[in-house]
Amino acid sequence: MEATVANVLLTFLAVTAVGIIMLRDLLAAVILLGAYSLIAAGAFVVMDAVDVAFTEAAVGSGISTILFLGALSFTRHDQKPRPNHSWMALFLAVAAGGLLIYGTLDMPYYGSATSAAQTNPGLAVRFLEESGSEVGPPNIVTSVLASYRGYDTLGETMVVFAAGIAVLSILGLKRRRPGENAPLDAPGDKTTTLVVNSSADDGSIASPNEMKRYPRQRHRVLQVVTKLVIPFVLMFGLYVQFHGDYGPGGGFQAGVIFASGFILYGLIFGLQKTRAIMPPSALRILMCLGLLLYCGTGLLTMVLGGNLLDYNVLAHDALHGQHWGIFTVELGVGITVTGVMISLFYNFASKRSL
Amino acid sequence: MFVAATIALLITMALTLWRALVGPTQFDRLLAVNSFGTKTVLLIAVYGFLTGRPDFLDIALVYALINFLGTIAVLKFFEQDDLGSGQYQEDDY
Repeated sequence: MEATVANVLLTFLAVTAVGIIMLRDLLAAVILLGAYSLIAAGAFVVMDAVDVAFTEAAVGSGISTILFLGALSFTRHDQKPRPNHSWMALFLAVAAGGLLIYGTLDMPYYGSATSAAQTNPGLAVRFLEESGSEVGPPNIVTSVLASYRGYDTLGETMVVFAAGIAVLSILGLKRRRPGENAPLDAPGDKTTTLVVNSSADDGSIASPNEMKRYPRQRHRVLQVVTKLVIPFVLMFGLYVQFHGDYGPGGGFQAGVIFASGFILYGLIFGLQKTRAIMPPSALRILMCLGLLLYCGTGLLTMVLGGNLLDYNVLAHDALHGQHWGIFTVELGVGITVTGVMISLFYNFASKRSL
Repeated sequence: MFVAATIALLITMALTLWRALVGPTQFDRLLAVNSFGTKTVLLIAVYGFLTGRPDFLDIALVYALINFLGTIAVLKFFEQDDLGSGQYQEDDY
């Protein structure tokens, strides 16, 4: 039954991928990528990679679609039709694809008994049998991710951080930012200007409260539901962050879910109000703070006489040290990912609204 | 019982996926993908019980909480071609 479900899901995945390639309309492709991500998460669940599925679920359900849409709003909605087909390009694509497929022939089949993981089970057995007494958390994935290969995860966090910096440097800093306390008539600060104009038209002076209210209340249902849902999203983000030792989850997923709460607010109430709640300067601090927390833990363990990210030295008891180390490191990951994701949303969504 | 539910869910997933692929309008695709998301939530939940590991329920919860985010984003994109605008600006352009 499980194999059948996996096969059906993988078939869906292939069909969707082909469909996305065939579509000329990029907006439809973005919508279909949402379905692709959903199927991928389902397939990961069926293949027992629950933590991976969790990440795919957190990223694919909202953030990736939103980033694609943000990119689309900078460009055209249709793929540019090519007048003449380049046979050279076709040949190169087919050759490269063929080589890749040829390469996969060497890989073991799914669940194969002769794969390297089965014939040399030393590492897997070590993780499964000893991680409880060496590292502690019942979720072995967390042990491996945050402790055994904490250095690797440090690199991944840096990649996320670097992506945030790159997007900031390309999209965020190019236009001159009005700043958090910009003058009312700052160019580009359309909302404020419009509110001031409308209040001048009817001759009355708008009080600060009235300026914050929106004159035309549309999508009332969405606004109310959003306000109801956001606390639960943030709460669930915290749960995923701190429950990652025991169940699927951890810093990456928690950061994305936490950021999703803010992004939801931004979609419904506009970038202006979201930036008032979570100013970009705070995001830049968060991005750095998380990574510094991670690196700082590594440095601390070195100062205390261990190797980089060897948490055993953090406390009198090795398991306690591991617990503290994993807690701090995951917190660092969560903070950085939250900062980067919200910052990405700000930069991609701010085509006109700044 | 869970097997029957799983099969039924897979069939409905195939149907919604078909609608998402053939269109014809963007709204068809969007609605199809949205209900496909609901089916995925259900599939993950049912599958957790099928294999006796309700850990999976957390993932279903993620989707239940934030699956509509993408749909809202696409709809806002249809309406305003801009993800960051506040609702109060929409008639002012």
